[in-house]
Amino acid sequence: MNELRNTFQGIMREVFDDDDIVVSDSTTAEDVLGWDSLMHINLIIAIENHYSIKFATAEIAGLQEDGQNVGTFLQLVANKLK
Amino acid sequence: MVAESGGLLSSFERYISAPGGDRRTHFLAFRKLLKESILSAPKQASSALRRAITPTMDYTTACDCIRLAKRLQSHVSAPVEPVRIAIVGSGTTTQLAELIGLFCFSKGLSTDIYESAFGVGAQDILDAESGLYEHEPHVVFIASSFRELRERPDLEVSRSEVDRLAEKEVNHWQKLWQTLHDRTGCLVVQNNFDRPPWQPLGNFEVAHPAGRASFLNEVNRNLARTDLPFVVIHDLSHISACSGRWNWADQRFYHHAKLPCAPELLVDYAHSVASIIIAGRGLSKKCLVLDLDNTLWGGVIGDDGVGGIRLGQGDAEGEAYIAFQRYVLDLQERGVILAVCSKNEDDAARIPFLEHPEMLLKLDHIACFVANWNDKATNIARIANELNIGTDSLVFVDDNPAERSVVRQFLPNVEVPEMPADAAKYVETLDRHRYFQTLAISSEDRMRTEYYRSSSQRQVAESSATDIEDYLASLEMKASIAPISEFSLQRAAQLTNKSNQFNLTTRRYTAAEISARVESEDWVTRVVSLSDRFGDNGLISVLLARRIEGRLVIDTWLMSCRVLKRGVEKLLLDHLCGIAQDFGMRAIDGEYIPTQKNRIVAQHYEGLGFVLQGTAANGGSTWRLDIQNWSPGDHHITEIQT
Repeated sequence: MNELRNTFQGIMREVFDDDDIVVSDSTTAEDVLGWDSLMHINLIIAIENHYSIKFATAEIAGLQEDGQNVGTFLQLVANKLK
Repeated sequence: MVAESGGLLSSFERYISAPGGDRRTHFLAFRKLLKESILSAPKQASSALRRAITPTMDYTTACDCIRLAKRLQSHVSAPVEPVRIAIVGSGTTTQLAELIGLFCFSKGLSTDIYESAFGVGAQDILDAESGLYEHEPHVVFIASSFRELRERPDLEVSRSEVDRLAEKEVNHWQKLWQTLHDRTGCLVVQNNFDRPPWQPLGNFEVAHPAGRASFLNEVNRNLARTDLPFVVIHDLSHISACSGRWNWADQRFYHHAKLPCAPELLVDYAHSVASIIIAGRGLSKKCLVLDLDNTLWGGVIGDDGVGGIRLGQGDAEGEAYIAFQRYVLDLQERGVILAVCSKNEDDAARIPFLEHPEMLLKLDHIACFVANWNDKATNIARIANELNIGTDSLVFVDDNPAERSVVRQFLPNVEVPEMPADAAKYVETLDRHRYFQTLAISSEDRMRTEYYRSSSQRQVAESSATDIEDYLASLEMKASIAPISEFSLQRAAQLTNKSNQFNLTTRRYTAAEISARVESEDWVTRVVSLSDRFGDNGLISVLLARRIEGRLVIDTWLMSCRVLKRGVEKLLLDHLCGIAQDFGMRAIDGEYIPTQKNRIVAQHYEGLGFVLQGTAANGGSTWRLDIQNWSPGDHHITEIQT
């Protein structure tokens, strides 16, 4: 999970072009400056391409919803990579 | 010539040549260097970024480039007034708008883009008070998709009823275009309709008159027949098919964010739309400069000989080169100028053109042929000079990365696509860049190589004539001057949009706007055609003037650069003075509005005997010629009546 989180953080830094971004499992979309609906799509695409996975329609929106955070999202990614 | 900064350029080369897997890593290294250069060397940064923006980049990279371009633009002010674009769509167009802006930026065009609020598209067009009209757009892009089709025939209806509905559909859109154009005089870019991949009627979709695919095809056919001069139908159907319709219609992002297609494919979609806007501004490329060995045939002519090069049927690679030549020839036939730039002995380089039985390209197709051992940057600058076009009108295709790199380094305005190792992919690589995008094709376009070839021959004559007057007299020039007619309207409009150098005011007009002036009593419109002993130059000059209070005020005066310094402007002024006298007018007024490209005519009116009336802060000037002070100019052109 740590490796996954590190990679995710790297992709976040790449997509947001901000090397100071640090994420933990409890990070939510609201915690990151500029994480709007537009950037959200950019992030989803970057992750899909990086891991060669596809998110389902409901999963795309999931990360921005209440009660969801980086931890739950990474679990989703981990399940797809199994 | 000044070289661009080395580090940034070599970083760019590593990125653009990287295979798929490493590409992103190399891009990030390039991005880092680029960000540093924005402050220290903004010009080099801008040039490198423009080159990095290609239609085949992935969506994530494209979004990075959007941010970089914004950062750059906040440091470097735009040299010219931005193109105001309005995008009208019913879904989310934010990404599309940003990407269209990015591709315009990559061609040196700054943009100011207005988007109709989500879902209010048509209302914005109908409501004369809407934000769209407040934006005063030069271009309105109607970003429709199959979801915006108004009509949907029932399966029971007859074929004639389906045809009627297809016409009704197109009429609905036509009304919107007309409204837009009447209120703003803008260019309208309208999507045709992408075909959804799903087929409820199965294979019968296209055969059943009321099948959705069948209906869409009918509507698209009707759209394609649109002949309003201010409307361009953008072939979205082709874009969607190119990427594969299931890939295109990624429903996840439609349901999630109302995106018109899969995000990755927005890049190519936006590039296609931008190419139309760029073409409308006269910024499409004009000339394709080709290397020979391993570009037009396989192998090296100097080593392998005409029997040894791989070209033609029976050899897979040889067939790939033939296919590329076929494509290049198709471009030439519709008006793209071809030039050759090869490191070879001149004799050897010409042998395949003269002797190889399967060579499709002949020497007649090449407007300028340069084969020697000089560096290619110097040779390409020479080609531009001989053809009398700017280096920013050139695309250079070479299989050799070192040659590409040299040209990129020394000629930042020349487009140099990254070519694949496999010749079978040359056509795709070149075609996807849409360098030669066009909004119309005239008979003049089809004869262009002839013009430029004879222009090169004239240059030879020019260098052998000791006295310029003797030379001009030896050309035996004949010109006809006539009001703009229905036959010359399209060409005149094309020239007002394309001519940059010999263009006093650079006012761009659509065919519709010119047509309105032709019909007006207040306006005098003239076009000049010129021929000489080397051939027919066709329609080469346009003049629009307005009668205001006893004076003839020149609104537009432009001329094709291939007939520069031939005395055409003196002939046309004589003609104009004749008109002014017939009207009993006292004076002719002229105006010079400077741009980056028209310095060549800064002294135009002075040279013709006009007197300076005033100068503006931007270097512009106004001029007047009193008719009583006018005497006919010296030239060597015989005016003929047509």
